[in-house]
Amino acid sequence: MSELATLEIDGPIATLTINRPEQRNAMSVEMLEALHVCVDRLEEAAGVIVTVITGTGRAFCAGMDLKQIVIDKSSGGSGEPMLPKRLLASLGRLTVRIRCLPCVVVAKVNGAAIGGGCGLACVADLVITHADAKLGFPEVDLGLCPAVVAPWLVRKIGGGPARAVLLRGGVMSGARAGEIGIADVVCPTRDDLDAATDEVVRRYAAAGPEALAATKSLLNDLDRSRDKDLVLRGAQLSATIVATDAAQANLAARLK
Amino acid sequence: MIRIEDDGTVRSIVFDRPDKRNALTPAMLDGLVAAVRAVTVGKGDDAAVRAILLRGEGKSFCAGFDLDLCKDDGPEQPTMLALLSGLSSAVEAMRACPRPVVIACQGAAVAGGCALLGGADYVIADRGAKLGYPVVRLGISPAVSAPFLIDGVGAGNARRRLLDSELFDGAAGSRMGLVHELVETRDEVLPAAADAARTMASRSVHGMKTTKAWALVCGGEKKMAGRAARALDTSLSLVTGDEARERLAAVWK
Repeated sequence: MSELATLEIDGPIATLTINRPEQRNAMSVEMLEALHVCVDRLEEAAGVIVTVITGTGRAFCAGMDLKQIVIDKSSGGSGEPMLPKRLLASLGRLTVRIRCLPCVVVAKVNGAAIGGGCGLACVADLVITHADAKLGFPEVDLGLCPAVVAPWLVRKIGGGPARAVLLRGGVMSGARAGEIGIADVVCPTRDDLDAATDEVVRRYAAAGPEALAATKSLLNDLDRSRDKDLVLRGAQLSATIVATDAAQANLAARLK
Repeated sequence: MIRIEDDGTVRSIVFDRPDKRNALTPAMLDGLVAAVRAVTVGKGDDAAVRAILLRGEGKSFCAGFDLDLCKDDGPEQPTMLALLSGLSSAVEAMRACPRPVVIACQGAAVAGGCALLGGADYVIADRGAKLGYPVVRLGISPAVSAPFLIDGVGAGNARRRLLDSELFDGAAGSRMGLVHELVETRDEVLPAAADAARTMASRSVHGMKTTKAWALVCGGEKKMAGRAARALDTSLSLVTGDEARERLAAVWK
């Protein structure tokens, strides 16, 4: 089996790739574990100034792997009632760890970034995508609660817009994501994404690494990005809602 | 290099160094701080001032610090430290001022010049004005702006703009909330800003004073002094380091 996440380090630039293209890079416990291992390495990697997070294939990350948050085995679920909670807590910890990396993080949203996948993008210091990508938080559509990602969206676009996005549900185009501040740079087409990302990455890599790290650290302090308890409470809350009969019924129907 | 002109109830503070695109010196920042702090609501000559208009002569509002002044300073970088401390004081003084502060931002507000916008209550810029914080490439942190930008335009925009050296235009500044009134050309900036300052000066003193103070409280002003001090420390601690020295030396070569 190929690795579910890969990390390449090339001098000051690292690329962290979510690598489960046949499942549109949906997050499983195993994949999040692979991402944690990559972050272990990034925490140790001296000299990395900027890390690009992206996905293999057409999608950036389609969100949670439904098979791991449906519990009932006869509906195609895992049969493990604790699995959703583990998955959500692992995502929560991962988001804080990525945010607290000393390097600048760019989310290169190559395609669909849905739910937790869009949340992961919002953890980055800069989000770049193309106009036709699909981004959003359709959790409430399924009776779920996007509690782990909510703190990151609030920090990214502010409390008012975050409430509007999270409570409205659904998905939006990359162009729209640019208008509301989820995406910072929006290329006209997918074909432009590599060149546009390279330009952004070159700018960061040319900056003074100490100045960049000190500024990022200050921003993390000021916007309370290090508050791990908040996302872990979010994970608990989200897991509680996932376990409800209504949510499980919706999810099982979606799996069929 | 800085002029104070009181015209009735509006005090204009004018950067007058157009040949250097109003690049900031420690004396200009000290003059700005003094002219703003002198505006009080108590008795005294300056109590007549009801609004402040900060502007710059020439094609640009302000190009940031005059780095040439720091060139021969040696490793202790006293001028750079004075500029950073003066900038932080200036932004804090504008926020603490009981009267509204309007900035006429024509052409460009870059680095320390853009940081000043964070202290104003009302910023008018032209659509094509060049804005931004391109200092991390010099090994300097734009940290001084961080607390005020987070309050003014949100944490996401602050993160986006402070870590990236890319300049953005007045229209983008307006979308993110850093610019509050956008005009088409740079020649329209000053008349519009003067009009805004005059209008604000004509309002009921009590209502204006209370509204400004309360808006700051709602933005978390109680914690702001501590946050600003922490931010200034971040900038100061980098300036005398190897990274800033090497990168600045390359600029001066």
